[in-house]
Amino acid sequence: MDIFLQQLANGLTIGSMFALVALGYTMVYGVMRLINFAHGDMVAASAFVGLTIYTQVMGQAATLIAVITIFLLSAACMACVGIILERVAYRPLREAPRLSAVVSALGASLVIQNGIMLIWGPRMRIFPELIPQVYWDFGGVVISLIQVIILALSLVLMVALYLFVEKTRIGAAIRASSIDQDAARLMGINVNSIIALIFIIGSSLGAVGGLFIGLYYRGITFNMGWQYGLYAFIAAILGGIGNIPGAMLGGMLLGLFKAFIEGYVSSTWADAFTFILLILILIVRPTGILGERVAEKV
Amino acid sequence: MNRCIRTILVATSVALLAVPAFAADTLKVGVQAPITGSYANEGQGIENGVRLLAEQINAKGGVMGRQIEVIPCDDQGTAMAAAICAKDLVNKGVSMVIGSYTSTCAQAAQKTYFKAGVLQTSDGTADSLTEKGYWTFLRNSFPNSAEAEFVANYLVNVKKYQRIVVISDFSTYADGLANAAEAAIEKLGGKVVSRDKIKADSQNFTPVLTNIKSKKPDAIFFAGYYSDGGLLRAQQMALGIKADFYGGDANDNPDFAKLAGSAAKGAFIVNVPSPNVLPYEIAKTFIADYQKKYGEMPPSIWGLMNIDGMRAIIHGMEQTKSFDAKKVADYLHNMSTPLPGITGQIAFAKDGNRKGGAYVVKKITADGTYVNEYVQ
Repeated sequence: MDIFLQQLANGLTIGSMFALVALGYTMVYGVMRLINFAHGDMVAASAFVGLTIYTQVMGQAATLIAVITIFLLSAACMACVGIILERVAYRPLREAPRLSAVVSALGASLVIQNGIMLIWGPRMRIFPELIPQVYWDFGGVVISLIQVIILALSLVLMVALYLFVEKTRIGAAIRASSIDQDAARLMGINVNSIIALIFIIGSSLGAVGGLFIGLYYRGITFNMGWQYGLYAFIAAILGGIGNIPGAMLGGMLLGLFKAFIEGYVSSTWADAFTFILLILILIVRPTGILGERVAEKV
Repeated sequence: MNRCIRTILVATSVALLAVPAFAADTLKVGVQAPITGSYANEGQGIENGVRLLAEQINAKGGVMGRQIEVIPCDDQGTAMAAAICAKDLVNKGVSMVIGSYTSTCAQAAQKTYFKAGVLQTSDGTADSLTEKGYWTFLRNSFPNSAEAEFVANYLVNVKKYQRIVVISDFSTYADGLANAAEAAIEKLGGKVVSRDKIKADSQNFTPVLTNIKSKKPDAIFFAGYYSDGGLLRAQQMALGIKADFYGGDANDNPDFAKLAGSAAKGAFIVNVPSPNVLPYEIAKTFIADYQKKYGEMPPSIWGLMNIDGMRAIIHGMEQTKSFDAKKVADYLHNMSTPLPGITGQIAFAKDGNRKGGAYVVKKITADGTYVNEYVQ
């Protein structure tokens, strides 16, 4: 039983990181009907930006204020990158066929990935141990401080995002733009600002996810964004792409699924099973768990 | 006119004959090493070491009166360049070849030296190097299987662990080392409670470690690379698995301790000793001479292993009083008393493997430095 609970805790930790990253995919898709493939690499970039802020700006101080500053500054940096990305790679193609925008997204992904390699080098960089190694043992189930922080902060951010989208006027504008951009524009909504806002929120959440990866796993490489981006993308589809609670649910479920497959079946087969799950979801329920069945616009 | 031509012909042939006769006075030693490329650091270490030893021997009158002439060839760490080097060195008439650094390059060149009857000594650790039955090949390091046996003996007989876990990734090196270690542990009567595999670079090893935790191990041997080893150690401690952690030789990298962070303290690394801790007098003198000549430490133990290989071949020549490769090889394969070397005692088994082992177990201290825990 304690093995089961331990795997559950492990799964929820990685699941909440997947969920944070998946939110970036799903929000952009919800409004723009575009898979932002560069999102995974933005996540990786934020880990490197965070490392640089720690060594250059904070002077390697591992205080609580330093940690908060790193999170805020990295999120701000990535939000800027997100706006630039949208302006340069996606806005000129907004009226173009969807395929062009997807190709542009893949190109942007390569540009960011290679940019990280050029700036920080191809070697693995080591993230500092900013969170003290504190553990609690509950009858064989060990939970670490960092796991608690990751879970709690992810949940807070996700609930805040949900409330923001569902309860505020700007949230209503986001939802309106997601349903019909032209109609939203007629209602006096500045769709360009809404899209910029989507990129700001998505990229900042991705930045938090990237910093969690750095803090939790310590070793960061320039090409790790691809791996996390792919898992988050699967999580977004699993939960229903375009659906915000769906991305959260999908991320958590994928984390649990991976932990249990690796724990009970084999680490060799974890990826194979993940993709089998993706294929099954696409066959049985293409709109995802929480996705609604909508008629294709003609 | 006729006489004139004859004179020239005679003079030329005398000259032609005289050149090889004169050249035979030097002992040509080929160095096949990655002098450029990813392993340039190691390759240059081998070349520098060979040149230093040659200088020292020449100053004492050479090998049975013949001065050593060093002929380097850069194999760039690639099999293709290694095969070309082998042909080139054989054509230049070398009596022995030192190198190369990687198993791949040693292997690519092996057959050419065997066919030409040229002695080769390399530090490559792949077991396959000595499995082809080439009498010309002398391994101056210890094969991966020797590390497995050392680890097994240490874990089972010295530390008396009861429940050992062996982990590897899926690479040929790591999987091979882990399988060999598992077999060796079981041969000594130890108990391997779990043999697990992780996917290299996948970062999250907690699912596998959680299963391991339920087996209640007292020791974990990890045969993969440092980039996974450091994370594995950190996640082991985070899960509260109180087993001693032993990393194989590929974990001997400063990044291991950085990745593991505060969890690095108390982890053990198994490897051949680094040059600065070699206890032998001959090692201290040679390394001091090396530093004096080149202004730096030898880059690693591997260059020194190669120097020991060269010393062994020269020792063989002096003992048999012959430059005949076959005779020297026969002598080295049947040496009754081992030759004291820079990296420990040197003696060869019939298959060209270096006998024994010179492994150490290093413990990582709180500040990330290593202390020797156990020396073979």
